[in-house]
Order: sequence, then C-alpha cells, then structure tokens
Amino acid sequence: MDDSDEALMARIARGDEQAFRLLARRHLPAMAGLARRVLGNAAEAEDVAQEAMLRVWTHAPRWQPLAAFRTWLTRVVVNLCLDRKRRAQWVGLEAAGEIVDPSPGAGERAESDERERLLAAAIGTLPERQRAAIVLTYTEGMSNAQVAEALDTSVSAVETLLVRGKQNLRRALSSVIDEGE
Amino acid sequence: MTRDELQSLLDSHGADPAQWPAALRVAALGLIASDAEARVAHEAAQHLDAALARYARVAATDETAAARVMTRLAGPLPRQDRASWRWPTVLLDWQFTPAWPRVAALACCAAIGFMVGITGLDRPFERTGTTAAGRSDITSVVFEPEAITGARP
Repeated sequence: MDDSDEALMARIARGDEQAFRLLARRHLPAMAGLARRVLGNAAEAEDVAQEAMLRVWTHAPRWQPLAAFRTWLTRVVVNLCLDRKRRAQWVGLEAAGEIVDPSPGAGERAESDERERLLAAAIGTLPERQRAAIVLTYTEGMSNAQVAEALDTSVSAVETLLVRGKQNLRRALSSVIDEGE
Repeated sequence: MTRDELQSLLDSHGADPAQWPAALRVAALGLIASDAEARVAHEAAQHLDAALARYARVAATDETAAARVMTRLAGPLPRQDRASWRWPTVLLDWQFTPAWPRVAALACCAAIGFMVGITGLDRPFERTGTTAAGRSDITSVVFEPEAITGARP
C-alpha cells in the first residue's frame, strides 16, 4: 500500500483516523522541534504541534496537493508560531525551564550543551522572522526558495533575513563560534 | 568580489561553495584563495554553520514532546471541515496549467463552429412543398370546426 504523505492525506480526507495517526507519528518530532526553536518554549511548541496536526485532520478534505505535504505542514507550523509570537513576548530558555536530556552520556556533553544553550539563547533574541528563516534553513534543510514559500515572502527577502540574522548571531556569539569544533 | 559581498554570500547561502550561485562561485573562491581576511570570514562562516547544524538536530526532547502530543491526539478527533455542497468549489477550482490543451480544444471548437456557420449545416433543408403542406395542415387544425360538435376553436 502507498504510504506516501500524499496518499495518507487522501485517506485522511475520507476520514481514515489510522492514516492520520501514521502521518502524525511521522512528522510530529520534526514539527515539535521546529516549533520549539521558533518559539523558544517547549510547552507552547507542543500546543502548536498539536494544533497543526488537528488542522491536517480538519482541512484534509479540502487539501490540494499543489505543494509537497511537508512544505505545507511546515508553513502551517511557522504561521502558528508567528501568530503566537505576535500575541506574546519572547520567553527566554531559562524562564521556559530546563529540559533534561535522558540520553546516555548527557553529563559528559556539558560543555557542548552550554555552547548550544548560548546559541539557542542568541537565536531567541533574534526578531521572529530572522529566527524563523534561520531555523527553517538549518532544521528543515530548506533552500532559500523553500524558506520563501514557507514564510510567504520573496527569495531576496529571505536572503536579507539570513544576512541580518547571522550578523546578529555573530555579534552575540563571537566567542562561541571561535571555539567551535 | 569585495569582502563585504563575500560576507553577504556566506550569510545568505552558507559556507558550502556547492550551495552558492554558480555565477558567484568562481569569484568567491578566488577571493578566499587570495585574501587572508576572506579566508578568516569563510572559516568563521563554517563554524557558524556547524554550530547551527548541531542546534538544528532533532533532539530527544522533540521525540518525547511528539509522544505526548500523540497521546493527546488519541482521543476523539474533531469533525472534518467538509464543504456541504462541492459543486461551486469544483467549478471554481479548475486548474488551467498547462493551458495549451484547453486552448487547442477551444480553437478547434471555434473552427468547427465557423465552418458549420459558413456552409449552412446548421440550417434545416428547405423543402418547399413539404413546408407548404405543413403550414396548411397546421392552419386546418387551428381553424376547422370540430368534427362532432361543430364548435370552432
């Protein structure tokens, strides 16, 4: 049986809950991570991921496969995040609480984790669209054209967002970057 | 290419030359090879890319968050958003790309219509006798008295 995203969407459009859960399981980790990085808040990111998947379910009967499902879902998640950011101020990672990494050897990576925490904090201080452009480029591996589609803007605007975002990151992280592996 | 232009290229497309626009690649690589400051900028961009790539990895926390969301989605799902009457949507949702098959079909219809028009194929054959008889028959039906009662219509 064809279990591509588009085939699953066709089944979901007919009310197939099993197909919906399969599609959700496939995309939720990446979408939760994307939302967490754009929002800087793990709890809100879960809410956004849930809301995005519920939109997949409710909108499936009217969904048209004009673009790849993943691109469409990414756009939904980014738009939900930006809507939330407009309603609420940025919450720093410290205020959002520490999330314990349960993987083995987590303690040995303390220094690396510290650098990543500083980077995350620096990304968190970026204006929301600069942050979204950087997160989409590096998290989703999107080209500038795909980021432009997800952010509903032009490629040149994305390039400007990336240039300004990285200028800001360089200023905030000069010591961390210099110590990079 | 100037150093500022190289920096913009590094920021907008990353440090990997494979991702750079082909038109700028040779000039950018030439500057990096010949200029120490450009080389430093390229190395810094590589470090930033590496740091961002590490930051972007899907973390174990994301898997945990996804599992929690899946649990929340285990309950009854909301009603799907179905259009109650689909025909207007279908009619308005025609796809016109690629347009040439439809344009060709329209042109064929127009040409056939034009040929039918100028050759008179759209008109009934003129049969004078039959038409006259037909007309007289109609008149008799309308104006002759009814056979039994003698009443006129």
